Amino acid sequence: MKLLPSVGLIAVVFVAQPALAHHSFANFDLSRDITLAGTIKEVQFTNPHVWLQVMVPDGKGGQTEWSIEAGAPGMLLRTGWKPNTLKSGDAITVVTHPAKNGDANGSLIRVILPDGRTLGPGGPPAALKSGG
Amino acid sequence: MGLGGVADADPRFRNTPYPLDPDFTEWGAAESRRLASTNTPGECNPWGPVAFMGGSGLFPIQILQGPNVIVIHYEAITQPRRIYMDGRRHPPADELLPTFNGHSIGRWDGDTLVVDTVGTNGRTRPLNGYVSGSVLSSGVDTAPRLPGSEQLHVSERIRLVGGGQYLEDTINVEDPKTYRKPWSVKRYWQRRPDIDVQEYACEDNRRRDAEGQDTTGTQPR
Repeated sequence: MKLLPSVGLIAVVFVAQPALAHHSFANFDLSRDITLAGTIKEVQFTNPHVWLQVMVPDGKGGQTEWSIEAGAPGMLLRTGWKPNTLKSGDAITVVTHPAKNGDANGSLIRVILPDGRTLGPGGPPAALKSGG
Repeated sequence: MGLGGVADADPRFRNTPYPLDPDFTEWGAAESRRLASTNTPGECNPWGPVAFMGGSGLFPIQILQGPNVIVIHYEAITQPRRIYMDGRRHPPADELLPTFNGHSIGRWDGDTLVVDTVGTNGRTRPLNGYVSGSVLSSGVDTAPRLPGSEQLHVSERIRLVGGGQYLEDTINVEDPKTYRKPWSVKRYWQRRPDIDVQEYACEDNRRRDAEGQDTTGTQPR
């Protein structure tokens, strides 16, 4: 966010505090990042959170469908996303915090688009989301 | 005085911190512990007036200012705050229907909007914003959850600062059921005419299993 240095009343020093989203992220392993290369099966550009369904080769000739959670649509629209940024069949790379329980779910850190651009989850990094 | 428009919070702003060691009553201390468990209010409930104005850094507000009422929408909260500016008083306590956001009346003190809120229902997320199932985590998330009861009384002074580019909300909290002493925080919002408030339908595509959420322990009480 652009902040104006001339405004004296509001120092822009970073103050550690959790960003308060609508639910806890305690069920994702925020200490681990994993990278998945795959293709988009479906984008659910929905509230309260956007989900990327990603088909990832499992190394045994098959594929695993991953569900990757991003922020709310409003958050994504304000940070460079459009509802049609990703489409079915797009080849992407996703960096995500995986679910602690081993299921094929993750909290999005960033996605590398087919055109090489990188987009985030719409808000602060998931590591800041511990409070919500 | 015009406060209308869209404004956004940012965790980098020099908001004053919520109390880390509040002077809890016995009930307040127990309720704070309960709110740091999975047995907490529903995540889609409205947030109540304090967490509402505290800001999240993720979602903007939109202030609509009419002659007799000021309405504040918050992107992630389904219910707006309505601040009546027509000179009315709060209804008598025995006629006041408790609600998530409470009953708010306002008046101008020069260029400062003074808002008084009572009539909350005590069923919302903590005043410092923590969400359902947000349990304490050693070294990461250790702040006490700050409950608000049905005795919550919120006094706010809202004004423009920084040459009109920011809203400052000084929020004073009195809640004798929860705290032995009042406390206050200052929260800031940057005015953002360049962005829009979007729709946020919290109940739409809730994939709690895929989020690994406890699907049994987060019911509203």
